[in-house]
Amino acid sequence: MNKFIIFLFFLFTFPQFSFGASSSIDLRQVQIDLSNTSSLQRGAKIYVNNCLGCHTLKYQRYVKLVDHLGLDKSTIEQNLIFTTDQNGEKTKIGSLMINAVNKSHSKEAFGVMPPDLTLIARSRGPDWLYTFLLSFYKDESRPLGANNALYPNVNMPHVLWWMEGVKEPVDSELSNFKYISSGSMSVNEYEKSIQDLVNFLTYVSEPAKLERYTIGFWVVLFLVLFSFVAYLLKVEYWKDVK
Amino acid sequence: MSKFMAWIDQRLPVSNFVKNHLSQYYAPKNFNFFYFFGALAIFIFILQIVTGIFLTINYKPDADQAFASVEYIMRDVEWGWLIRYMHSTGASFFFIVIYLHMFRAMLYGSYKNPRELLWIFGMLIFVLLMAEAFMGYLLPWGQMSYWGAQVIISLFGAIPFFGESLALWIRGDYVISDATLNRFFAFHVIALPLLLFALIYLHLAALHTTGSNNPDGIEIKQTKDTNGVPLDGIPFHPYYTVKDIFGLSVFLVIFTFVVFFLPEFGGYFLEKDNFVPADPLKTPEHIVPVWYFTPFYAILRAIPDKFGGVLTMGLAIFVLFLLPWIDRCKTKSIRYRSKEYKIILSLFAVSFVGLGFIGMNPATPVLTWIGRIFTLIYFGFFIALYFISKNEKTKPLPDRVTMHE
Repeated sequence: MNKFIIFLFFLFTFPQFSFGASSSIDLRQVQIDLSNTSSLQRGAKIYVNNCLGCHTLKYQRYVKLVDHLGLDKSTIEQNLIFTTDQNGEKTKIGSLMINAVNKSHSKEAFGVMPPDLTLIARSRGPDWLYTFLLSFYKDESRPLGANNALYPNVNMPHVLWWMEGVKEPVDSELSNFKYISSGSMSVNEYEKSIQDLVNFLTYVSEPAKLERYTIGFWVVLFLVLFSFVAYLLKVEYWKDVK
Repeated sequence: MSKFMAWIDQRLPVSNFVKNHLSQYYAPKNFNFFYFFGALAIFIFILQIVTGIFLTINYKPDADQAFASVEYIMRDVEWGWLIRYMHSTGASFFFIVIYLHMFRAMLYGSYKNPRELLWIFGMLIFVLLMAEAFMGYLLPWGQMSYWGAQVIISLFGAIPFFGESLALWIRGDYVISDATLNRFFAFHVIALPLLLFALIYLHLAALHTTGSNNPDGIEIKQTKDTNGVPLDGIPFHPYYTVKDIFGLSVFLVIFTFVVFFLPEFGGYFLEKDNFVPADPLKTPEHIVPVWYFTPFYAILRAIPDKFGGVLTMGLAIFVLFLLPWIDRCKTKSIRYRSKEYKIILSLFAVSFVGLGFIGMNPATPVLTWIGRIFTLIYFGFFIALYFISKNEKTKPLPDRVTMHE
């Protein structure tokens, strides 16, 4: 009976871990490695230079990159902070990563307010982000000339076209593409850069991930040993219970 | 020390209390695996209170600031992420522990004479706990917080005549809004915890009046030695304190593993959509309640009529209150009960877990039909039990408890 209950317990607590994607194309898997600090640094660079203009990271502070990405303060101030605060002074390193875009202006330009991306890797998942950023193609019918195979008719233009180049679908199923102009990178290099970017966004979505596995290992190990000692204590006390 | 205790005891009966409830409180010696969960539930209650206090220090119950304040806790508050994950994981584990605790009572007939009141208090705790968890889930102010609350509160609107006014009264607005968030915060952090505390006190007071049941379902107070000590009883302290410390440490291995390695639990403890701030203008694709509500949610969806569904769901909980009177069999433990009882209890357990699965998934026609069958089994259990238990063929009870270690 006990075994049956334990089985039920697991059945109950481990439902399937999958999440259905609502789009037609399959998600591409991306390798996330938060211990790869240089990848996180490259991702931060791409983000600040290409994305932060429209997409804030309004729950993340620049200063966290000191401890988490191994950057020193002057590097961050000189290479990652390009905005000014309300008084017109350069944004302080302890500030949240917001931008200077006027809300009504960006709504006019894109039809929607570009969303904050601090938590996008938690709500969409890294694979979705990776696939999304690799799925832009040329589509003259869209106002900004680009469409996305994963997220059809998205309002976002293909911001990274200068890195990737521009591709066009070969068939109507959007499964094969050919490049009609090349960017500053090869396809392989571009995919690596997007991996860095997604890696960075995964870190930003939950900075605690950098430490919780390591701490968790020691906590669980301690409790396993403690359980063993507690068991011996229990057995010792219960010797005289017949 | 003894002089000091004498001084205290003259003014407050501390030593007597320790004697009556710990060192000379006799519990049956044959408790098994299922008897860890009561103590564990108390542990989680305390854990939720303590982590909750720390969260309240930095949380802002304001529709404009709530989401950001949770992220502030997760990032900028020292160890804030750990406190938050302990609290969110604690909520789910509370229900795992409580469901097993309740199932234990069903296995060994712990709700029966003389423990009916104990069971009623326990059921009240369960209902309050659901309210507590539901209101707590609104506080992070994510999409699922918002829309989950919207769906559940709109259920009250299905009640004829005064339903809409009732829903309006609960929300304090025509939709979930800042007013709702504020009042849910008040209920979650003070009103319901106080009530829970009082009910847990009554639950324990009732338990210590009748004494614990045990896996054999016989009363240990019926066979006492010359000093009036039950022959099959052992002092709670030290025997069950050391045993519960062991149980707690094994529980903590599992609990901390989830806290540190799987805090979202694949989207079941922390739903993906809840990392998007609440947006009253954008409905998520699938609105699903947190896993611990899904068995009842599946019952709700099984009924085609909205008000009928609400009634049936309410009945599914209410019928549990009546269990001590529905089950008319004198024999308590499943060990000595009939094959028929074993079959219907197994079916009940399967239907409950099955309903939980169905409630987690979008309502397809097939799933809805399976949900209807499980709903029938769920209620069928109580009907069958009422008739089976009248003249049930039970096995003879032993005079003394048996040990299966």
